[in-house]
Amino acid sequence: MIRRLLQPDAELLDDPSPGRIARIAGLTALALAAYGFTTGFWRSPQMGVYVAIKMPLLVACTLGCNGMLNGLLGLLLGGLGFRQSLLALLSAFAVSALILGSLSPVTLMLALDAPPPDSEYAASAHSGYLLFHVLLIAVAGIAGTLSLHRILRERCASTSVASLTMLAWLAGNGILGMQFSWILRPFFGTPRLTVQFLREDPMNGSFLEAVWHALNRFTGGNIHLALIALVPLAFLVAVPICRVLFPRSQPVTP
Amino acid sequence: MNTDIPQPPPFIPTPPFAEPALPEKLDTRALFEALLRSPRALVQRLAEPGNGALGRFLAIAVGSMLVFGLVLGSFAMKEQLWAAPLKITAGLLIAGLICFPSLYIFSCLAGSRAGAGQLAATLAGMLALAGVLLLGFAPAVWIFTQATRSYSFMGLLALIPWFVALLFGFRFLKSAVAAGGATSNGPVLLWAGIFLVVTLQMSTSLRPIIGTSERFLTDEKKFFLQHWIDSADKVLPKADSEETTQTQPAP
Repeated sequence: MIRRLLQPDAELLDDPSPGRIARIAGLTALALAAYGFTTGFWRSPQMGVYVAIKMPLLVACTLGCNGMLNGLLGLLLGGLGFRQSLLALLSAFAVSALILGSLSPVTLMLALDAPPPDSEYAASAHSGYLLFHVLLIAVAGIAGTLSLHRILRERCASTSVASLTMLAWLAGNGILGMQFSWILRPFFGTPRLTVQFLREDPMNGSFLEAVWHALNRFTGGNIHLALIALVPLAFLVAVPICRVLFPRSQPVTP
Repeated sequence: MNTDIPQPPPFIPTPPFAEPALPEKLDTRALFEALLRSPRALVQRLAEPGNGALGRFLAIAVGSMLVFGLVLGSFAMKEQLWAAPLKITAGLLIAGLICFPSLYIFSCLAGSRAGAGQLAATLAGMLALAGVLLLGFAPAVWIFTQATRSYSFMGLLALIPWFVALLFGFRFLKSAVAAGGATSNGPVLLWAGIFLVVTLQMSTSLRPIIGTSERFLTDEKKFFLQHWIDSADKVLPKADSEETTQTQPAP
């Protein structure tokens, strides 16, 4: 099943049975739990257990909450049924989860080797740790997106329809996923804050507001500078998506 | 008037580089030679079930690392003569072990059809090739271990052969994954970067490897870059006998 998920073909969506969906969901949850544990482990083993529960929960909440919308968009744009849409999205999440899960021995070593949260290097260790995990998650996310596009290309009427369906799903799930990641915080465990499953006011604020406030603080309250700082961030997100949607033409060999 | 224009000699294409054929039975010596002379043919052979290469590759890798570790240990002498080979060999095996699950996933992402067994043999082959190259560097490194006391210089001397050895190891791995049907290089290159970082961090986790310490392993946790910065200006302390010799008045 692992190889079939990582190298999807046209038959992947042929059997959207509950059993198959449950198997892929189980595999995704296991892989995310393994990775989540190593992510939180640096702060404390208790935090590791919390994040092991929260990572699969984040995907479940995003897909569950957007299920109706994803199904409708899949039907209207790509001609896919509800279950097929769910299977396609779940398969893409499974690809990301498998990448992260396969790297969990490496991230566990990183957690064991990083200066502990009570050491003099805690602040720089936390920043480096955060950056490394953000990079890994970005790589896994891009691979998941590529996989989703490959699945859709096999089933949709044309490449443009596949791209449109994927963009619609990405937008909906991306925005909701970001907000769920905010609600389910903390994931990495800031050294000076206590270990908790959820913050005391989980629903207060939003991910996008937090990014905006962080940019504002970084630029000393200068809105123009903050807007300029948003450009490279948007570029970083847009480039891999554009490369998926508009692949470079391959030279034709005779 | 002579209108004959001298014609350039006809273009004779040079035949493509042909690798020597592999023997029917691959024993340790044949594998050792194949790693260096017939890597592509070896990659094809690794796809065959029951090739028995995994254990032999591991033996080559372990043997080579033990010798290279001994050379590095000769910098500080004393207990490092046995501790450095042990740590380098164990560190490399652990790095291979913890990176193997991601190698399988990334090779699948690249489009390769290679199975887990074939990939395990390929990874062991990569480590063996890197080890053999380190063996080649060992005499030159040994000369410098006897000439310097600087940790940073010695560290650099250990890292350069490691980077070169891994470069060839990664080339072997890339051709193995490509032979399995991979259509893109990106995932394997990314994995190579992760493996390199893991080995560098492993060298910090298992320290001291080059220098000396009263303890076999340290419990201080550091990232490898921080460790390199902290050790940059340190030198190996002189041995007691050496100090005594130097402080004795000349006869």
